Amino acid sequence: MSRNSFLAVFNQKAALTIFLVGKLIRFFFFFAFIVFLLKGTKSLAGYNLNQTLLFFFTFNLIDTISQFLFREVYRFRPLIVSGGFDLVLSKPINALFRSLMGGADVIDLITIIPLTIATFYVASLLNPSILHTTFYILLVLNGLVIASAFHIFVLGLGIVTLEIDHTIMIYRDLTALGRFPIDIYKEPLRGIITFLIPIGVMVSFPAKAIMGLMSPIGVAWSLVFGGLILFLSLKFWKFALKKYTSASS
Amino acid sequence: MKKYLQIFKLSFQQEFAYRLNFVMWRVRNILQIILTFFLWSSVFKNPETSVFGYNQEKILTYVFGILILRAIVFSARAVDVAGEISNGDITNFLLKPISYFKYWATRDTASKVLNLSFSVVEITILFVILRPHLFLQTNLLILFAVFVFLILAVILFFCLLFITNMSAFWMPENGWAAQFLFIAIITDFLSGGVFPLDILPYTFQKVLYSTPFPYLLFFPLQVYLGKIAGLEIIRGLVTSFAWVFILFMSVRFIWAKGLKRYSAEGR
Repeated sequence: MSRNSFLAVFNQKAALTIFLVGKLIRFFFFFAFIVFLLKGTKSLAGYNLNQTLLFFFTFNLIDTISQFLFREVYRFRPLIVSGGFDLVLSKPINALFRSLMGGADVIDLITIIPLTIATFYVASLLNPSILHTTFYILLVLNGLVIASAFHIFVLGLGIVTLEIDHTIMIYRDLTALGRFPIDIYKEPLRGIITFLIPIGVMVSFPAKAIMGLMSPIGVAWSLVFGGLILFLSLKFWKFALKKYTSASS
Repeated sequence: MKKYLQIFKLSFQQEFAYRLNFVMWRVRNILQIILTFFLWSSVFKNPETSVFGYNQEKILTYVFGILILRAIVFSARAVDVAGEISNGDITNFLLKPISYFKYWATRDTASKVLNLSFSVVEITILFVILRPHLFLQTNLLILFAVFVFLILAVILFFCLLFITNMSAFWMPENGWAAQFLFIAIITDFLSGGVFPLDILPYTFQKVLYSTPFPYLLFFPLQVYLGKIAGLEIIRGLVTSFAWVFILFMSVRFIWAKGLKRYSAEGR
């Protein structure tokens, strides 16, 4: 499925180039913004330039990997609206897997490797211990688990409400709040985006862990939280499947 | 004139036909403002702080001002032009006694009125919740200058959007990709929509001032905040007018070339 998706994108070389350039420019603009901002202010919510950059790179890493893996979610609505989802259900492949990961995005794949190297380079500038690095890797994986759960919720909502496009874009906008340390937000917003919509756990906690700002209990709690969210999303998916009416087919 | 008034009314109603679409678009705008608001609030935690020539009051006015200016300048329905070219729907308009540019300018105006009304409501709500100290410009001459810059900004954006959309004459499948690159990313950043341009190095700013982008959002807001005055305003006006002329002529030229290439695919 991913090979087909890659071939489809490679067939449109101009679009591939434009999107790739667009994504790189956006990344570069934000990067430049953080550098120039921190040059003027020296710190942001108590974090220095390298620390703020690590928050930014970690956000991008998790965001890019989840976009690479879950691009098919963006194409789910036509399947539901047209009733084409019937064909997915009738095939000998897990319908959730097909809807979630059936069309990986090659544009994001191209950027993942340099982004990973850059993230680890920025992280190394903070001289982390092996324990804190392990926490970081665990929490990045946990961030991807939470991102999976978010996408499963979006798919489930798509079946129930027929609305996908805006839900996924609002998810993107909400996660973008994690582009900077969540410490910049005031309560109750900070609490909401940490626990209710766990963007903090997803993208900010890994960076905090590598800076030694998270206790082992905090890390363990985050992992349990990630598992719980994934469990709830799977439950919701099963609930949504029962609501599927196969309309228009 | 009557037909354009009718288009305005229909366009207005059409925006309301997709209410959820519109509301979600506004929610997204609010989320972006919240991110920017808290980011700058964090930088200017101490009200005495002054960075990049801004104090807390002025930077928060910039954040709120962007919400209004985006509604006025960036709200546009002409984003659909590329789609009409690539699927052949533009043929319908070419056969009718109607100016295609005036048609989209009217639809854009309807979109701007609607978005502006909503942004005023959103600002009121955000103002009540966040209680920021905002800078109020009282000099009528400066307010008039801001008004003139805004009219020029609307025309500039219309031309930029049209030029980008007309790329569909040459690459019908990638008109939306061009829009993503030139409008959603380059124009948004270089117009000051994401962050104030004066945090960038001076040389870069100088180069940027010779392009049309800062005159869309950044320059009008700087004039409002009183950070640009006197001769600099005149210089800005001359540059803006020059870009309006250049882009307007480019639109006409590209339109004529594009129509010659157009073969009504899909019709």
